[in-house]
Amino acid sequence: KRRKVKFPKDHEVMIQILKDMGITEYEPRVVNQMLEFTYRYVTTIIEDAKIYASHAKKSNVDADDVKLAIQCRMDQSFTSPPPRDFLLDVARQKNQMPLPLIKPYSGPRLPPDRYCLTAPNYRLKSVQKKVTPSTNRISVPRLSVGGVSSRPATPTLGAPSVQTVTKVTAPVSLTNQRFTVQIPPASQTSTTKPTTASTPAVSNVLINPSLIGSKNILITTSMVSQGDSLKRKHEDDDDYDNL
Amino acid sequence: IRLPVFSSAHAHFICKMAAVQGGLVDAVEEKTIKSEPVADATANNSANDARAPSSSPGSGVSPGVNKPAAGAAEDQQTLLAVLQFLRKNNLSESVEILRREAGLPEDSLDQKGGDSTGTGLGGPEADGRTDAGSLLSRVTVSSSAPSKAVAEDQPDVNVVLSAYSQQGDPALYEVYYSGLKKFIETVLDCHRAELSQVFYPLFVHMYLELVYNNHENKAKAFFEKFSGDQECYYQDDLRVLCSLTKKEHMRGNETLLDFRTSKFVLRISRDSYQLLKRHLQERQNNQIWNIIQEHLYIDIFDGMPRSKGQIDAMSGSLAGEAKREANKAKVYYGLLKEPEIELPLDDEDEEAENEEGKPKKKKPKKDNMGSKSKKQDPNAPSQTRIPLPELKDSDKLDKIMNMKEATKRIRLGPDNLPSICFYSFLNAYQGLTAVDLTDDSSLIAGGFADSTVRVWSVTPKKLRKVKSAADLNMIDKESDDVLERIMDEKTASESKILYGHSGPVYGISFSPDRNYLLSSSEDGTIRLWSLQTFTCLVGYKGHNYPVWDTQFSPHGYYFVSGGHDRVARLWATDHYQPLRMFSGHLADITCTRFHPNSNYVVTGSSDRTIRLWDVLNGNCVRIFTGHKGPIHALAFSPNGKFLASGATDGRVLLWDIGHGLMVGELKGHTDTIYSLRFSRDSEILASGSMDNTVRLWDATKAFDLETDDFTAATGHIHLQDNSQELLLGSYMTKSTPVIHLHFTRRNLLLAAGGYNP
Repeated sequence: KRRKVKFPKDHEVMIQILKDMGITEYEPRVVNQMLEFTYRYVTTIIEDAKIYASHAKKSNVDADDVKLAIQCRMDQSFTSPPPRDFLLDVARQKNQMPLPLIKPYSGPRLPPDRYCLTAPNYRLKSVQKKVTPSTNRISVPRLSVGGVSSRPATPTLGAPSVQTVTKVTAPVSLTNQRFTVQIPPASQTSTTKPTTASTPAVSNVLINPSLIGSKNILITTSMVSQGDSLKRKHEDDDDYDNL
Repeated sequence: IRLPVFSSAHAHFICKMAAVQGGLVDAVEEKTIKSEPVADATANNSANDARAPSSSPGSGVSPGVNKPAAGAAEDQQTLLAVLQFLRKNNLSESVEILRREAGLPEDSLDQKGGDSTGTGLGGPEADGRTDAGSLLSRVTVSSSAPSKAVAEDQPDVNVVLSAYSQQGDPALYEVYYSGLKKFIETVLDCHRAELSQVFYPLFVHMYLELVYNNHENKAKAFFEKFSGDQECYYQDDLRVLCSLTKKEHMRGNETLLDFRTSKFVLRISRDSYQLLKRHLQERQNNQIWNIIQEHLYIDIFDGMPRSKGQIDAMSGSLAGEAKREANKAKVYYGLLKEPEIELPLDDEDEEAENEEGKPKKKKPKKDNMGSKSKKQDPNAPSQTRIPLPELKDSDKLDKIMNMKEATKRIRLGPDNLPSICFYSFLNAYQGLTAVDLTDDSSLIAGGFADSTVRVWSVTPKKLRKVKSAADLNMIDKESDDVLERIMDEKTASESKILYGHSGPVYGISFSPDRNYLLSSSEDGTIRLWSLQTFTCLVGYKGHNYPVWDTQFSPHGYYFVSGGHDRVARLWATDHYQPLRMFSGHLADITCTRFHPNSNYVVTGSSDRTIRLWDVLNGNCVRIFTGHKGPIHALAFSPNGKFLASGATDGRVLLWDIGHGLMVGELKGHTDTIYSLRFSRDSEILASGSMDNTVRLWDATKAFDLETDDFTAATGHIHLQDNSQELLLGSYMTKSTPVIHLHFTRRNLLLAAGGYNP
């Protein structure tokens, strides 16, 4: 069909390129996307070439600089899959190992926790107001949301699995509380670093996100094993007396 | 041009080689070998011309230095080239030594080597791989040592390109090709079809050689002259080639590089082959003969030459056809024995077949799906061939349900077509890229271009996820309906959205026990989602390139994925790395499917071949060629014997796995076929395509054939043109391409696609 609109020259060139490559059906925006990509690619290459030329103390950019620029970019952004002989080699090595036997009755068959995405990806920080001197108890006077600090919070419960929620506290109503949620650096482990020596128990505290809005926070804890297994009772009740 | 400065040790080495060379020249009778194609100087030229700095001209030089047989004049030029190289590197001492020993006059230094003698034919059938990691080493074994020494630190593509040697004079390629064309046109009719197979691979290889050796204009002229003669089904490839005019263009194109290093397989009858060989071994045609020997693998068979139709049916792939040995391995295509499950007594009894190993017939019905007689099916793999997960109680309950449903299954046939229920995804704006249904048809999942995965419930039962830990603590764990109580009623909904991928989701698969969902995406990862909590459990990273398809094994636990990196991987859910890597395809793997017995994986690829892989040891046991476009749909028949495949060429091809032959072709679709499915008892094959139709074909009739010995031995097929009779029905959708088909357990056909007005 005849186009009434006259396109800019670059646009026409791109349409011709698409036609030469055998692409006959495409949305009109595709041409614009291709043009944008072309512009960005070409300017990157030419800028790189200018840098190489100046490095070689040449006054003009010549074909070699451009070639070098293209090559370096190719290795960087447009990587291609590994060559076939390499793949065949790796495949041969891998395929020689026998298929591992499957352990029966092992629950959900998932890789070790490090390779799963099942750990919580945040930590709660506790703003310590008072510390109960009683044995084996770490108190959580207040939990504040919003800031990020380095003090982890409540004690944990001893339980074998790391990523699953182990014990649930009785629902506690915490009104007018602000809570700090600390997000540890991106690591799959759920162990946290103790920051002060006085806090032997470190833990991750899960906040049930669906309940935050209603200001009704349930604190559930998951176990963090840290060498010495910590079996502390979760004692939140007496911390929230004042609420 | 920056040339690396070689140490004097290198230089002396090269000189010594040149001196040795000089000695050899005198001894060899050059006349007969004059016609040998020349190699290195052009490689030299290419080395000295505009080359990337990382290339090693030395590797270009050394093959030339160490040629076994050469004409004197050409060899002289080689020496001059070496001299010039040394001179450029300011290795004046070496220059002197070489000049003295080789007896070269002083003023000949300025000549560059023209066509020097080549090598290339040491081992025409030999695999072109050297230890240095260079893919293409056309040099002889003797010269591979020096090239290795020099190129050791550069095992990259540039070594491949620089070590390439050229056959024949580039200017004469057109002459060679035309000569061959003329010859084949004058050959007897019965041989002509077979010999015409040679045209395409020869054309492509010669063109690529011209491009590699920087004869851009000659390459373009060659292309223009002869590309029109090629078969129509190679047009897409030719278009890609047309845009490839410089060696640098080839660098990133792994498919073409693989094509260069692999031999294109042709099947030619002995008579035709003799004809060809006799013609090409004449003196003036030696060049083409060398080229053919280098790049083509001719699988000779005894018997009648094949007709054009037969050849056309099997050709079309990027690597030619399959060698006959490739399809001779034994494949255990039978089904695994169903485990015995005690059933409550049921009144509606179909014929109850006994489970293998149980001598007495029990009253309860046994599984009558799949398991045949008491004896072990010779074509079935043993239960322990690959480790499979044991059946849990829930799995046993599932099987019982399955059997119960099976009794209510409708028997389909040409006069009893299934009803089709179509699920149109509205408002997907062409973003629907993958669909899957659970086996019991209770859940449907869609993968979208916006990187989300959405799960819907097909039945009125809503989707529920497990309660949070807090709530779980409160429920009574001892109650009978604890499994219902752990589900959270408050967030029950018709659909759930799963976020996590960072690219369009191209493959989706439910696990057979409905606990997990797999999704594979353009971001290179495969994610395992839990359907209990609707969260992501694991991300499997291995492909670093888009993963086009993934599927759970029918027994759960294993899954296969295939993607842009041309490798299919077998994973287990509890291993973060793949267990098997299936490598061999020349282009992307677009479709991966498990065999019903989980012992084999079939992959369809953009190189237009289908390969069947053995899970146990990763070997490729079958190669099926014949499609003329990338394969997008694969389906095994429920009895495991047959495979159906659909591609962008709109044809469905049917394959007999045991014999490794094509047994049928179903023509009718006009656009890419994206989905294929057999009905539960293999009576009907349903195909869905981009042309917005679902077509039903008579599978019992299509596969009702005897394969005789001749066909099995030679691989000749005689396809009947019976697509019209086999077509049972064709159903149009309202501008919705059909991307998924699923037969329910009662043989109702469900189809899915995104509405695309």
